[in-house]
Amino acid sequence: MKTITRHIIILLFAVAAWHSYAQNDEKGYRFDGNYVVFTFNKYDYEKFTVDDSTKKIKFEDLNIDNVVVAGEFNNWSKYDWKMTRVNETTYELRKHITDFKDEFSWEFKFYINDKYWAEPSEFDSNVALAMKKGTNLNVYNLRMSTKAAITDENGNVSFRLRGFEDAKNVIVAGSFNRWDEHDFKMYKIINGWELKLDMKPGEYEYKFIVDGNWMEDPSNPSKVENEFGQYNSLINVGKYVTFLLKGYNDAERVILAGSFNDWNDDDIEMERVDNDYWSLRLPLPAGKHYYKFIIDGKWILDPENPIREYDGEGNINSVFMVK
Amino acid sequence: MSFCAYAKDKSKLIQFSKAEILSDHTTRIPFKLIDNLIVIQAELLDQKGNFIIDTGSETLILNKAHFKARTTHMMTSRRTSGVIDIVDNPLEKRLQEFIIKDLIVSDKNSDVIDLSHIETSKKIHLLGIIGFDILKDYEVFIDMYLNQITLSRVDSKGKRLDPREYLETIIDTINFKLKRHTIVVDTYVNNQKLKFGLDTGAEYNQLNKRTSKKNLKYFYPSKRVMLVGASGKKIEVLAGKLYRVKLSDKIFFAPMETMLTNLNQMNEAFGTSLDGILGYEFFRQQRIIINYQKEKLYFVKFPIRKQ
Repeated sequence: MKTITRHIIILLFAVAAWHSYAQNDEKGYRFDGNYVVFTFNKYDYEKFTVDDSTKKIKFEDLNIDNVVVAGEFNNWSKYDWKMTRVNETTYELRKHITDFKDEFSWEFKFYINDKYWAEPSEFDSNVALAMKKGTNLNVYNLRMSTKAAITDENGNVSFRLRGFEDAKNVIVAGSFNRWDEHDFKMYKIINGWELKLDMKPGEYEYKFIVDGNWMEDPSNPSKVENEFGQYNSLINVGKYVTFLLKGYNDAERVILAGSFNDWNDDDIEMERVDNDYWSLRLPLPAGKHYYKFIIDGKWILDPENPIREYDGEGNINSVFMVK
Repeated sequence: MSFCAYAKDKSKLIQFSKAEILSDHTTRIPFKLIDNLIVIQAELLDQKGNFIIDTGSETLILNKAHFKARTTHMMTSRRTSGVIDIVDNPLEKRLQEFIIKDLIVSDKNSDVIDLSHIETSKKIHLLGIIGFDILKDYEVFIDMYLNQITLSRVDSKGKRLDPREYLETIIDTINFKLKRHTIVVDTYVNNQKLKFGLDTGAEYNQLNKRTSKKNLKYFYPSKRVMLVGASGKKIEVLAGKLYRVKLSDKIFFAPMETMLTNLNQMNEAFGTSLDGILGYEFFRQQRIIINYQKEKLYFVKFPIRKQ
């Protein structure tokens, strides 16, 4: 099945936006709709340090009076982002995603009883070594990512790299995560490496980093030249779109034709559905698409879509944007 | 990928590989949002890269990191032959002439400046910044719904040379004052009239710290953030949301992420006194057509589409 494996980047389709990112198992936060929910559970942490000291203490017996989220998003304030008590050991704080949109990733920590920092362990998946003015503090911060892509077993895009079985470390980096060289570590599968990501619709460039060496995706024929005279692989992540046309109950046949099928006037037949509509659902790549309906041979613009544009020849078409 | 066809001459032209030429006077260029910046792909002097669309910039700026000592080369390559498609494209022609004209005085105007700090922070290959000097000759439609900018040539009175009307529905028209290169609009914060500059290159809205206390009443601070200025210098500012902003009874805004900054220095540069800057957050919520000659902003209907 060579022909199938050739297209290793599978174009699958995601429902855009944040609600598809609801699942992640990173410590300290989760996404819920348009909100980031910080969660602190006492039993997630074994060690705590006293502020301004690296002395580590255990505090199983300590009663928690208050928990504050401090991080790069609030300039590590120990007072501002107070969490709400859920039960004896759990605290939560909801913040809207717009509070985080000026960076892709943020480091943070929980601050307890105005005195103790909860220390994540090096085994947590989302940690970063804490630094102060370039010096290593010997402790870890939690890290939160609000990127165009996140790792997700059920994600809409699978990256696969064949071979390189002796490699130690394979990363995928791209315009979806500002070419971060550490974030998206691939895992070993039979005959190669894989990573599944959940990505917002869009066109992205990417590369693999195999033990420090950057390389384009050998199995993806679509690529663009980059500023170093080399190539980046190119992926377009699309989504499912439903076209609707109201009325025309007496029509025999309604066709959807557009730039996505080379304006074929026979190809995509719409179905009559309940409540007075003709409907069709199809996957479209990210970007701008032109279309028209053909009702029993007569071409019309989408009457309910105000977005229309001239093409180079002066014709007017309806426009749909996948993003 | 249309540029392959002109490979022979590409070193002498600025090209927008993805532009759609709609008529002799109108060109449509798709953009990408890199963080909050409007970025279009282009090719110039054998280099592929990006330009930022920045109404806050007075001139065309080329990135010194990529265009060192290329002036003579540019000048000798003024005319090309056999590249009809490109020379016919008014934007490209215009840019080409503009670059040639302006590079001669580049030392005086500092139009070739080092932008590598933007490249580093945004991780993009940045060739330059397209500003007022180029944009002013067009009606500029910045469409955040279709992620594209449409440039339509105008005459000195601001009349579009393209006889075709817009297909879009204009829902409101607002007058602005052009102070040097800055678009200044009367903006109402809870009915208090303020003067704001419009700047597509401002990643965040800004409210002048020195504005009267009354105006600060509707600014709700939420955090302190580090801002990196055009010079690469960092400053700490207060960020929050600005409520009850409107331009007219039809054009109003959801609470906007805004930073409280000291604009006094900038005001000197702008040659006018501003209470704030409306940047990405403003453009994100609207589809806007700018006509510099008529000093008018047209607001285009945002679609509400069921899917």
